[in-house]
Amino acid sequence: MTAIAVSPAFDHFAAIVGAKNVVGSPAELRTYECDGLLGYRVRPELVVLPGTTEEVAACVVLARELGMPVVPRGAGTGLSGGALPSEGCVVIGLARMKKILEVDLANRVARVQPGVINLDITRALQADGWYYAPDPSSQSVCTIGGNVAENSGGAHCLKYGFTVNHVLGLTLVTPDGAVVALGSQAGEPDVLGYDLTGVVVGSEGMTGIVTEVLVRILRSPQRTQTLFATFPSTDEAGDAVSRIIGAGIVPAAIEMCDALAIEAIVAATDVDWPLDVGALLLMDADGVEEEVDEVAARARTHVEAAGALEIRAPKDDAERLLAWKGRKAAFAAMGRISPNYYVQDGVIPRKEIGKVLREIAALGARAGLRVANVFHAGDGNLHPLVLYDGRIPGQEHAAEEVGGEILRVCLRYGGSVTGEHGVGHDKACYLGEQFSPDDLATMQMIRTTFDPERRFNPEKMFPTPRLCGDKPGAYVPHATETAGEAARG
Amino acid sequence: MTATAVSIAGVTPREIVTPRSIDELAAIVRELHDARKAFAFVGGGTALDLGNSPRALDVAVRTSALDAIVDYAPEDQTITVEAGATLADLDRVLARHGQMLPLDVADRERSTIGGVVATNRYGRRRQRYGTAKDLIVGVSIVRPDGVRARGGGKVVKNVAGFDLPKLAVGALGTLGAIATVTFRLYPIPEAARAVVLRFGREAALGAALHEMIVRRLEPESVALYDYRALVVTFAGTQRGTDAQARTLVDEIAPAHGVEAAPLSELERESYEQRERAVRRDGSWRFRVIAPPAEPVATAANAVPATPLAVPVAYPLLGIALHAHSEETLAAPPDAAPDWPVHDLRETVADRTHNRGHVVFDAIPAAARGLVDPWGPTPPSFALMRTLKQNFDPHGLCNPGRFIGGL
Repeated sequence: MTAIAVSPAFDHFAAIVGAKNVVGSPAELRTYECDGLLGYRVRPELVVLPGTTEEVAACVVLARELGMPVVPRGAGTGLSGGALPSEGCVVIGLARMKKILEVDLANRVARVQPGVINLDITRALQADGWYYAPDPSSQSVCTIGGNVAENSGGAHCLKYGFTVNHVLGLTLVTPDGAVVALGSQAGEPDVLGYDLTGVVVGSEGMTGIVTEVLVRILRSPQRTQTLFATFPSTDEAGDAVSRIIGAGIVPAAIEMCDALAIEAIVAATDVDWPLDVGALLLMDADGVEEEVDEVAARARTHVEAAGALEIRAPKDDAERLLAWKGRKAAFAAMGRISPNYYVQDGVIPRKEIGKVLREIAALGARAGLRVANVFHAGDGNLHPLVLYDGRIPGQEHAAEEVGGEILRVCLRYGGSVTGEHGVGHDKACYLGEQFSPDDLATMQMIRTTFDPERRFNPEKMFPTPRLCGDKPGAYVPHATETAGEAARG
Repeated sequence: MTATAVSIAGVTPREIVTPRSIDELAAIVRELHDARKAFAFVGGGTALDLGNSPRALDVAVRTSALDAIVDYAPEDQTITVEAGATLADLDRVLARHGQMLPLDVADRERSTIGGVVATNRYGRRRQRYGTAKDLIVGVSIVRPDGVRARGGGKVVKNVAGFDLPKLAVGALGTLGAIATVTFRLYPIPEAARAVVLRFGREAALGAALHEMIVRRLEPESVALYDYRALVVTFAGTQRGTDAQARTLVDEIAPAHGVEAAPLSELERESYEQRERAVRRDGSWRFRVIAPPAEPVATAANAVPATPLAVPVAYPLLGIALHAHSEETLAAPPDAAPDWPVHDLRETVADRTHNRGHVVFDAIPAAARGLVDPWGPTPPSFALMRTLKQNFDPHGLCNPGRFIGGL
């Protein structure tokens, strides 16, 4: 390495992983300054890219000896700043550990390394009729390690559950450098003792570094039927969701887009959705053929009763996939209608969707900002996208303020500040509004079980005065975003 | 205070207290903590034999008076209840809205929410709905120092903060008292069908199960009785359940030379009664938990020298949400205190390549202390010990009862 101002720790880490797998020059470190939460940037001291569990463990031990904070990183697609570096930290990136180590159909599990792309598991299995269920919108670029850290969701977790419901066991390098097997070894359904696997999933990189994941794989359903319906406004669409859920129907997914989101998606993708509507729903029913047909027909009557303008069923798989591609590209599509956006991830009781969307619109209007909504309606997980122009002084701040007020609305309705993106850096200051000091102290007891020094991903999730006083940096598009490969949400 | 006798894994507490509110529960725990007295929590008392004998037990705290439904939101399919409410209490409230908590645990009139969560009990319908770990969305606890704390929430999707609810499930009350639990609920399916497959050879069973997976049937439950009868239930819409039952009876079973027939409601109930009795009776009760691919007979043939019956097994399938495994519930007849438990453990470990384990739900009094109900500790035990230490540094809360003496 020839760059000036390279960390003195460079050689120590290079001795473990090789110099080509340590990033130390300021120019190269820029890539790692942020994740999908683009408004915050911190340059790490170093980035190391280990290739094995043993190398990860050695790096962790070294970081401990050097007293460096550790920030784990997958693909950097997270939206809450979970992989935002801390001052003086070493980022341990798992991108090189991307092997599917074992597929065991008889036990319905696959053992994968953390750098494996979510969708690659399904790609490896689908010819035989199996798949991995959790499907975050970024699934074509995000990694399983990141999914584990954030307990990622996705559209179909309405029926199938979140990452935590599909991870049976883990190999964890703990903050003291020990390599520990957690949970199931080969697909046995129950394990003895405390559910440490359930704790590590969703712990946002604060419990160590996961180097192997044992995931559940499922048989793909006999049939999937998709329903596409448009409505005059989000009120009728919200009512349709309530009617479907209230009728005891358990769809695989129900997604909603409002007019602004539709406009962006139509501009950015090949979907032929109408532009003169107030909202649309995209619903999947899956399962046994006879049942799916019946359930889809019933859902259709509820959608009609709620006042749908138009109801369509995709004529073939290609059209179905196109609709879903449109939905999953929604966040990236926002660039077509706004220079910048700030996304939130609040959850509300699903019966309140219509009411809460109106409150969100009012909050946006008051700040002079537009808010697009594209979200997991079936489980009340909102994704309001506050649109702003970062070149106009004060707008970014105003957008964040609106985002924060939206989270407060979610809490007022008895909800949560995050349904699937994680608390991270972004929402740490709001966690203290959702939980009491005693609740947070109890969570710290769990955290310090793994990391008594609180050196792993410090300054995430838990509110601190320093953190909550920070100001966002200037917006710069992230590399994956400008390359057009990241679909977020 | 009541005088009702309670024995927890063979140890009788000096005193039993029954708090009337969660505030009172917290006050009692704080007082016990400050006086450094050992305590344990008792729900319906259906699993008092589970686990090691506590190292110390001054006071048993009964949750029976904490039975309020705190918040039921049928439109959102969530409910928050106090720990002492029974499953039957819940069933009655939920049925009015056509909903259910799909944990088919035996003895619903006695089993409490707190107990079911603390012991992670489940039944046949785990095949579709999973366990309490998959159904719990929020919890509030009283920590061993008397401090109240919450985790999760009231909405069905939520990743804010560390997952205290997951940790409460199966912790056997060693990290504090469960005060309230919030669950996600499911609609009661409009139709149900049951089919029984009777077979003579184990190979035919395996092949039939495999074909159910290949054909993508989605049973609600699959339970094996006495290694002879496989009862498969389907639940959902009328047409969906009919179609699946037909596929199984008319196509899959004949192809594998297995006799199959629809089961009437009455017949199905008798199987379930059998299952409930197995889970309740017998001085020795244990479960063998192994990966799905291990032979179904892992437990049955484990200790050839000992008469061993396997009344119920769950050969779960890889289809729906939780579908993923095989659990065998085995109960030997009343065996002597020197019954060769070690042989059983060794054989199971051997056959499952150390990936299966045996947990005892009941051990006769004479054999207590001779048999470790949990067996060897897992590789992550050091972390578990630290966790327990962080929550309960003075070792007052159900001390010693859990795995490895936690």
